[in-house]
Amino acid sequence: MIDIDEYVTALDRRLRGPGHLKRDLLAEARDSLEDAAAAYEAGGLDPVHARRRAVADFGPAAEIARGYQSLLALAHGARTLRTVLVVVPLVHVLWEMNRRFWMGAWPDGDIPLPGWYLLVARFNDWVSWGVAGAVLVALVTGRVLARRGVGTGRLARLAGGVAVAAVAAPLVGSLSVIVATASVDVSRLLELSPPVSLATVAMYAVMAGLGVQARRCLVFSAA
Amino acid sequence: MKPDAVRGHLDALLLATLDGKQLHGYAIIEALQVRSGGVLDLPTGTVYPALRRLETAGLVSSEWSTVGGRQRRTYRLTKAGQRALAAERTAWREFTAAIEGVLGGGPWPAQA
Repeated sequence: MIDIDEYVTALDRRLRGPGHLKRDLLAEARDSLEDAAAAYEAGGLDPVHARRRAVADFGPAAEIARGYQSLLALAHGARTLRTVLVVVPLVHVLWEMNRRFWMGAWPDGDIPLPGWYLLVARFNDWVSWGVAGAVLVALVTGRVLARRGVGTGRLARLAGGVAVAAVAAPLVGSLSVIVATASVDVSRLLELSPPVSLATVAMYAVMAGLGVQARRCLVFSAA
Repeated sequence: MKPDAVRGHLDALLLATLDGKQLHGYAIIEALQVRSGGVLDLPTGTVYPALRRLETAGLVSSEWSTVGGRQRRTYRLTKAGQRALAAERTAWREFTAAIEGVLGGGPWPAQA
């Protein structure tokens, strides 16, 4: 049988997610274990056995950690969705403002653009707003489902799926425009001014960061 | 009582324990054990994720506060929690009345 310190350390090692919430959950678990040990000690058990009994009552760390992990996964998922809700449209707006400042209207070019290209470009123009709307709906729906008693584990997996899709969609839109432009008239890509190219790199860096957060949603909810 | 049997009712039991009171986690566990005459036996570690789940559902609220000279996270029912508890109590009374009618061993009602 293990002591309270070892037990809390074992829980700590099994849990992955937002640090502040994890610390909060572990502090509360430790408080409870110390309270239980004090109660057993007051009942006549020696301190060592009182602490071990408290740990035994708390339950196997592997089993108890599952409940805590779903809370951490849900918290991370909700935070990631809130971040996506703000950052994805913000990045799009800033990139467009930067592009208009340095380049003005898109040049006509020597080669006329086919109709399908305009569809791809239109999709890329609107995908960020579509993502923001979908994420907002997901957050509201998640809150409603939580109030209706849907489990935290299921909600966390749902949030993870939405987060991954919400990050993937703008990336697909942006990459589609690049591929489409290269296939229609590659010289248009070379006409991008350095500040616009830099902003594009920065945009992909931000989206990569969001992608890491979204992937963690899936990892945490599967842990 | 088997933990699995208790687990299905854990949320309602926690809401009932918090009815009209603000308690920290271990006090909730003690109250559950006292009010059940020590019959309710489930890993105490399952109570805390359940409380946080109820908080996510908006049925309880929690805060760190000083209890007995120590910082503890304490829980209380929200208005939605009070309504959920009232609904759980009504459903439980209907359920136990129905089961009692069958299992209670009294005389069967005369058939029409």
